[in-house]
Amino acid sequence: MHSQAMFFQARAGVQVRNAGLQKTLKRVRPLFVAKRVKGVAGLVEDGIDVEELRGACEAIRRRVVDDLDVWLELFEARALASGAEVLWARDGDEVARLVVDIAQRHGVTKAVKSKSMLSEEALLNEALSAAGIRPVETDLGEYIVQLAGETPSHIIAPAVHKTIVEVEALFAEEHKRPKQERTSADIPAMAAEARAVLRQHFLSAEMGISGANFLIAESGSAALVTNEGNGRMVTTLPKVHVVITGIEKIVPTLEDFATLMRLLPRSATGQSISNYVSLLTGTRSADETEGPEKTVFILVDNGRAALAGSDFSDMLRCIRCGACMNHCPVYFSLGGHAYGWVYPGPMGSVLTPLYTGIENALDLPHASTGCNQCGSVCPVNIPLPALMHRLREVQNERGLRPWGERLALRAWGWVAGRPGLYRWMSRRAARYMRWLADDSGRIRIFGLAPGWSAGRDLTPPPGQTFHELYAARKRA
Amino acid sequence: MRLALYVTCLVDLMRPAVGFAALHLLEGAGCEVVVPPGQTCCGQPAWSAGNRDLARDLAKKAIAELESFDYVVIPSGSCAEHIRIAYPQLLADDADWSARAAAVAGRSYELSRFLDEVLPSCAVPGAFAGRVTYHDSCKGLRGLGIKAQPRALLGKVRGLTLTEMQDCEECCGFGGVFAVRFGEVSTAIVDRKCEAIAATGADAVVGGDLGCLLNIEGRLRRRGDLRTQVLHLAEVLAGPEPV
Repeated sequence: MHSQAMFFQARAGVQVRNAGLQKTLKRVRPLFVAKRVKGVAGLVEDGIDVEELRGACEAIRRRVVDDLDVWLELFEARALASGAEVLWARDGDEVARLVVDIAQRHGVTKAVKSKSMLSEEALLNEALSAAGIRPVETDLGEYIVQLAGETPSHIIAPAVHKTIVEVEALFAEEHKRPKQERTSADIPAMAAEARAVLRQHFLSAEMGISGANFLIAESGSAALVTNEGNGRMVTTLPKVHVVITGIEKIVPTLEDFATLMRLLPRSATGQSISNYVSLLTGTRSADETEGPEKTVFILVDNGRAALAGSDFSDMLRCIRCGACMNHCPVYFSLGGHAYGWVYPGPMGSVLTPLYTGIENALDLPHASTGCNQCGSVCPVNIPLPALMHRLREVQNERGLRPWGERLALRAWGWVAGRPGLYRWMSRRAARYMRWLADDSGRIRIFGLAPGWSAGRDLTPPPGQTFHELYAARKRA
Repeated sequence: MRLALYVTCLVDLMRPAVGFAALHLLEGAGCEVVVPPGQTCCGQPAWSAGNRDLARDLAKKAIAELESFDYVVIPSGSCAEHIRIAYPQLLADDADWSARAAAVAGRSYELSRFLDEVLPSCAVPGAFAGRVTYHDSCKGLRGLGIKAQPRALLGKVRGLTLTEMQDCEECCGFGGVFAVRFGEVSTAIVDRKCEAIAATGADAVVGGDLGCLLNIEGRLRRRGDLRTQVLHLAEVLAGPEPV
């Protein structure tokens, strides 16, 4: 996906003013939060210490990230032994080239896809279409987003920004039928309609493309966690199955996978387990009647390897549950598209600069109030605000901040280091703000902070600073 | 017990009454309270902007001013979190300063936690005839575990009834420079907070961080709510006291 992250500020403004989107986000936010609360409560009912479990999940992911090369080699060996092919891709372009090449060698004209954020990183649908191969998204949300010519706005709820009216218009056009009045009661009927259309695609596609929630090193398997069943169709019906996943998605053992599964669905959708959990190993053997004849794993770097051993290695633990964005006040004021690349929310504010260039996403690490609602729900304890903060420091170290901001900060710091001068200036500031107040006793327009006063009044200070008043009181 | 009151730059400039309320409470409990005269800002804005060198310089300045006291009390979860958590991290590699940073960090307390833990039997002179709702500020709540302490203290205020708002732990959208740089986004966030406050019908919203309170008050007033008072916890606990 071409990054638009440099335009965050402008895109954020557009989304904040989009009344329809705001209404949708306002309705959805409490649902996401309540689902996780319920999911975690289920663990507590089972007598499980949630913090201990988070620690265990963190430890599993740490173990992998610390020795990524070792686990990747083991995975590759086991996957090859099970009959799969393993390819490596340095970046998104290489992923697209490899997939198109596999498709062409197998005479593929249509590829069905289950949700893969990595294929968004690789602009895979564009590349397939350019090569004359039709990609069909089969996750319901992805299907809607594809019909709309958009990109996902949430990693587990790609079409969360769409209204039922918009979806109905897309379905009527694609399914070649007249538009109807729809309410939320019609959602099952609309899903059934999409299912009927997608069924034909499943049966006619020669290639299935999926991501993987995890790669199991000891068995060489891909683990797929889904709710709609489309993942099973994509990975078993077509003759060729391509798994595209980041190199960091490894877990050592099936036991580890089971541990992570206690928190992944609960963190994402609040489910104790998702509707479908698939472990895909190798290809169809002679005595089997189902499964692909060819399975290819494409293991993708695209910036990941550089994070290992760096200040940002914590981010490699991410299991893409989406809890960080589901609990982010900024995400729920904007939706995902403002973030400008594949991953929105706090996860994106860290990943986008790291994977597309720190200089290409300068606003994102600052697009946070530092509230740590994300870090406090992360199932693998990623300190997201600390990583955003470290990115801010790197921006400074590389001289990437605007000169005006740097100058202002240095001037303020210089004054703050000199108490006498600081006192003098704060006394002046207190009087100035007092003077700015209008008849209502409040400051309506504050030229020093227009971003503040566009939406808020400022209650002016009484005109004398604490230290001034305190000194006077001591003298008295 | 000799303690330093670190009033914070925001209280110094914008609302001195919060500093005097804290002073009143602490002196009322029999503490010897000193307001170190050289204090300016803890340096969090520099840290937050990613300027490590400046954040370090201001941390050293504050540590030198505060290290001779038994305790440092701060009427702000945000500044307290910065001193307790960021100072030792900023100076961890500095042989001359790391131990001093850790020592000051360990003795620094957010006001409500200090009153609750160190002075559990302190008098709460304040009275409030009406209902209040409490906003949990992020740094205090998630950084320092400040949750029960302010509520326990409010429970001692004569006449006061506490009504919890929906999502009281949700950020108000302040975030320091964030509220200026991303003003519109911040406004959208604080709107949700204002709605939650309004839904309680409380006479006042109370919090422990002046930054959040200025943000909430500013938005409430702009939305036309001139009725709901916006008060710092210290002001409610201390009651009206002439500056």
